[in-house]
Amino acid sequence: MRLFIREHALLLAVQLMQFAAILSIYWLDGYRDLPTALYAVFIGSFFLGCYLIYQYFSRRRYYDRLSRPLETLDESFQTLEDKPVSKALEQLLHSQYRHYQQQLTAVKLQQEQHLTFIDQWVHQMKTPLSVIELTVQNIDEPESASIREELELMRRGLHTVLYMARLRAFEQDFHIKPVLLPKLVSETVHDHKRLFIRNSIFPEVKVSSPGITAQSDEKWLFFMLSQLISNAIKYSAAADKTGSGQKVTISCYTRGRDAVIEVKDQGIGIPKSDHKRVFAPFFTGDNGRGLRESTGMGLYLTKEAADRLGHRLELESAVGEGTVIRIILTAQP
Amino acid sequence: MSRILIVEDDPKIADLLLSAIEKYGYEGVRTRDFRLVLQEFEQVRPDLVLLDVNLPSYDGYYWCRQIRNVSTCPVLFISARDGEMDQIRALENGGDDYITKPFHSGIVLAKIHSHLRRAYGEYAAKRGELMLEKAGLTLYLERLELQYGQAAVSLTRKEADLTESLMERYPRVASREALLEKLWDPEAFVDENTLNVNIARVRKKFQELGLEDAVLTIRGSGYRLNPSWTEAKP
Repeated sequence: MRLFIREHALLLAVQLMQFAAILSIYWLDGYRDLPTALYAVFIGSFFLGCYLIYQYFSRRRYYDRLSRPLETLDESFQTLEDKPVSKALEQLLHSQYRHYQQQLTAVKLQQEQHLTFIDQWVHQMKTPLSVIELTVQNIDEPESASIREELELMRRGLHTVLYMARLRAFEQDFHIKPVLLPKLVSETVHDHKRLFIRNSIFPEVKVSSPGITAQSDEKWLFFMLSQLISNAIKYSAAADKTGSGQKVTISCYTRGRDAVIEVKDQGIGIPKSDHKRVFAPFFTGDNGRGLRESTGMGLYLTKEAADRLGHRLELESAVGEGTVIRIILTAQP
Repeated sequence: MSRILIVEDDPKIADLLLSAIEKYGYEGVRTRDFRLVLQEFEQVRPDLVLLDVNLPSYDGYYWCRQIRNVSTCPVLFISARDGEMDQIRALENGGDDYITKPFHSGIVLAKIHSHLRRAYGEYAAKRGELMLEKAGLTLYLERLELQYGQAAVSLTRKEADLTESLMERYPRVASREALLEKLWDPEAFVDENTLNVNIARVRKKFQELGLEDAVLTIRGSGYRLNPSWTEAKP
């Protein structure tokens, strides 16, 4: 409405000037009958008013469209009235929409290709890893152990890449089913045995009852817990170079209606100022910068996966004392 | 002597699998022509098949179905894909087990052995019992027994594991880390002391066989089997 008024203000002004001009011509010519003059003005205004009202109501959607911002891209696809201006605007919006759609489709396709490529590449890299893993068994110590350790890092790195790629296609890549948490915890700890041994860190597994079950995706949960455990090992090892029996405690218990998996270390801890930021992508903090192979992606991926699976993460940490991270799931009775 | 057919298109992996298998007294055969897997299977008549999923012509699933038409022998899939769907497909197409890359030869051997035993019973296990021979010693991994000449001692699980690692690595050093890994028990964490105690026990077992100084400590890296008895008897 306001747009319409602003649009036609000049027309009104011109019309009024016209009335004034015509009347003054008659006035100066000696024709002086005020009621008739006013009546003429009234008739003129009436036609003008009719015209404006028709104009406004027949193009109301057009003005409406122009004065309200687009909420979504799809809104630009609304049909307007069958009037020249409305038609033109409609066509303009449609063609713009089409261009954007084309670009979006192209970008999506590119991303899709990239994703497929990464996925394939990661799987291809596993064969050389297997070859090295098998070959290294014929090499003497201590080189053999050192190479195996690097292999382990590569394997973990590849996994992170794979899961980063999978995160983008998350909707097609998860199956929620009841997961037996104690079993998952012990499998994950077992998977990290080499890392534990290399860093002389003791895993301690505490399970309050062997039947704790929660709805989740096993693969993602395994990945999340893996990230937490390998972080715990890294930060414990960084806190204590003497290697005298640091412990990482992985516990699984219920808390009210929640099931909790908790990873607790006695490592270097995370400064208060970083608590909010540890889950941000590419965040490595001072801790990460002092360590190798820190991409800052592990915790970010863990957080993203937790959000999508509907789990919560809790973090408690103090510098020099250690860190506790919990994954909170909804327990199944 | 159980015969194992290896259908794997990566030549290095196939070779490494072959040497790992032969170390434990099995006979391994590699596939040469991947278009004729079924023919080779019928020629070789193996007791077990290791089958890669990604092959140059057709895939592992296809060949598994072909093999299933003529035989019930155990088929173990090897693949880089670790998705649930891949594993389900493998089992639905007649596979018995699924090993994901990157794998460790120990895992492959343990699975081969358990499937052979399940498929052919104890008789077969006896026929091709999992055993390791090095420097006149024979280690029976099922019976947990170590034999030297006519003498034999029985070992505990942990002792057998350590002895196996030492014999496997000979003439190289078995690192402390590798031994700890071998002893790893998810229930009770194994520390350096556990290793020391068990090494001492293994040494005692060797002494019972009349073999002195059989296990050398290599400072800073680990332990090495020291078969002084083989040099004594030319």
